[in-house]
Amino acid sequence: MFNKILIANRGEIALRILRACRTLGVGAVVAYSEADRETLAAQLADEAICIGPADARRSYLSAPSVISAAIVTGCDAIHPGYGFLSEDEAFADVVRAHGLTFIGPPAEVLERFASKEATRRLLGSHGLATIPGSGMLRDEAHALEEAERVGYPVIIKPSAGGGGKGMRLVRTARELEDTFKVARSEAKAAFGDDALYLEKFIDDNRHVEVQVAVDRFGHAIHLGERDCSVQRRHQKIIEETPSPALSDAAREDLCQRAVRAVVAAGYENLGTLEFLVDSKGDAYFIEINCRIQVEHPITELCTGVDMVALQIKIAAGEPLGLSQSDIVSRGHAIEFRILAEDPTKDFRPQSGQISAYLAPGGAGVRMDSHLYPGYEVPSYYDSLLGKLCVWGPDRATAIARGEAALRELLVDGVTTNIELHRAILANKVFVDGRVTTNLLDRVGTAPFVAAASR
Amino acid sequence: MPDDPKAAARAASPDDDHARSKRDHLAISKLADDLLPALIAKLASSGLGEIEVREGGWRARLRKPAGGDARRVTARGAGEGHSGSGHGTGRPQPSRPARAGETAAEQEASPISATSPAVGIYHPRRDLSEGMRVRTGEKIGTVDVLGVNQDVLVPVDGVIGTSLAEAGEAVEYGQELVRIELTERSPLPAPMPLGQLEPAVARGNA
Repeated sequence: MFNKILIANRGEIALRILRACRTLGVGAVVAYSEADRETLAAQLADEAICIGPADARRSYLSAPSVISAAIVTGCDAIHPGYGFLSEDEAFADVVRAHGLTFIGPPAEVLERFASKEATRRLLGSHGLATIPGSGMLRDEAHALEEAERVGYPVIIKPSAGGGGKGMRLVRTARELEDTFKVARSEAKAAFGDDALYLEKFIDDNRHVEVQVAVDRFGHAIHLGERDCSVQRRHQKIIEETPSPALSDAAREDLCQRAVRAVVAAGYENLGTLEFLVDSKGDAYFIEINCRIQVEHPITELCTGVDMVALQIKIAAGEPLGLSQSDIVSRGHAIEFRILAEDPTKDFRPQSGQISAYLAPGGAGVRMDSHLYPGYEVPSYYDSLLGKLCVWGPDRATAIARGEAALRELLVDGVTTNIELHRAILANKVFVDGRVTTNLLDRVGTAPFVAAASR
Repeated sequence: MPDDPKAAARAASPDDDHARSKRDHLAISKLADDLLPALIAKLASSGLGEIEVREGGWRARLRKPAGGDARRVTARGAGEGHSGSGHGTGRPQPSRPARAGETAAEQEASPISATSPAVGIYHPRRDLSEGMRVRTGEKIGTVDVLGVNQDVLVPVDGVIGTSLAEAGEAVEYGQELVRIELTERSPLPAPMPLGQLEPAVARGNA
């Protein structure tokens, strides 16, 4: 096991990793930017170090700063959290070259799974169904040809993308002609890589993902699936497990196939395989996330496994210490992403000082957040203020606990999406477990917000 | 015991308008804390007359007054350590940039330091000694970041004062390394008061 881990991230996940380190009896150093001087993880940590200015490119995204901070504080491993450098194979490689361990898949594994398009082919060859789509698009003519072959509507995606950024839905050849160049320059601007591919667009789909864990010795388990269909512009806002979209048999089959495929493809450490599930219940593999996911707590609530601790142990070269029969998913859990954004003003991100904060409690309630009264939400980073997670022995109880907890949760000083969550929970489509990824964007959030204020 | 803990927790919170103006003020002072010191140092050490930077939804423009330098705004808070608690004693001690609310008098009283440009190992220039006269932008040491040296620069004309970090010591970004004492002969015409910066900070569309 490691002696000391540098936590190279911020917000709630820095705090979550710090807690895992403490549970494991491992030392931890929180690396923070100047804008995060007052963040809770930096304050609670035994050691914290400023690695650069607010601009993430010179702090959280600066490999030399992060590695230098790990070396001067005597760390032997770096936990990148999610986002920032978490799936950067070049970073993982340099970390190793400096005699440190990257907590995540080894660099060569990250490299193998770096391209979404290549990963679909790889895991497709190991038994996962994939959405009909193209290879890399050479030019507009090639895009038109490929779209014709798979059939409209299609979705154009940047190969280097993530988090739904830069995707474009196209319903006709005419729209494709209008969109292609823009999509290419957007991808270049956002990811520094203008490679695009396209896929058949599956209307009214659900987003279901399978959590896997694979140790260095090729032992693998799955920890069930999560349904992340409640999205706004491809960004998840509510996640739950188990998925209301799958029968027990379909769930077991999907999870088993996912584990077999990643082991065959040589994956290592925690991974999340994302699938689109169509209205018939068929699941198509879309991508793998080679890191801890934002929504990991709901899996923890149902399985009792500390996912971050497990991730650290695997990176330290320890065996899983768990077999599939040890994983029993009990009850139902839901996560609400509490975001500093204004649903009535096009979800504009908010920053400012938290004037009051009260986390909810009670049976089956967990709040992962770095907020405290007086904390100033910086404007430089994402708008995630925390994750309210609830567990119940069944879905109805989890929903009831979610409603009670959202009512109790108090965040003053910045506008949040708490009321939107309450409105979604009260919506019949959600209660019936029938939400599809396009629901919020199709009907708009206004009716939900309006319903909530009645 | 209040009936409604939410109401109690909210009791101290300001009304909406006040909150909004407070938020704006906080955003401005945040900008002053995070961005302006670096910008001012750059302006002072370069031959440029004006710099404009966009950060998030904000835009800051700095103009150097004729013959002026940026002495007061590069001043660091006196004796201000990290305001958080629970840090190990072994960690590098960071400095804090001057706050927008600080008066010119407060800033004038604050010592000025050369700070670390990065996280790494500090190596002062060999010939560096207390009492040595230095000029704005002069290199007085380096911070080794994985074998690449980053320069420690003097933020203002003056004289080398107390060293705040040892040679070979691990330092963090922004850490105060060497005090710079101002002398009678330091040319300090027309310092740029921070208050003047606020009208130049304009909210963008983002």
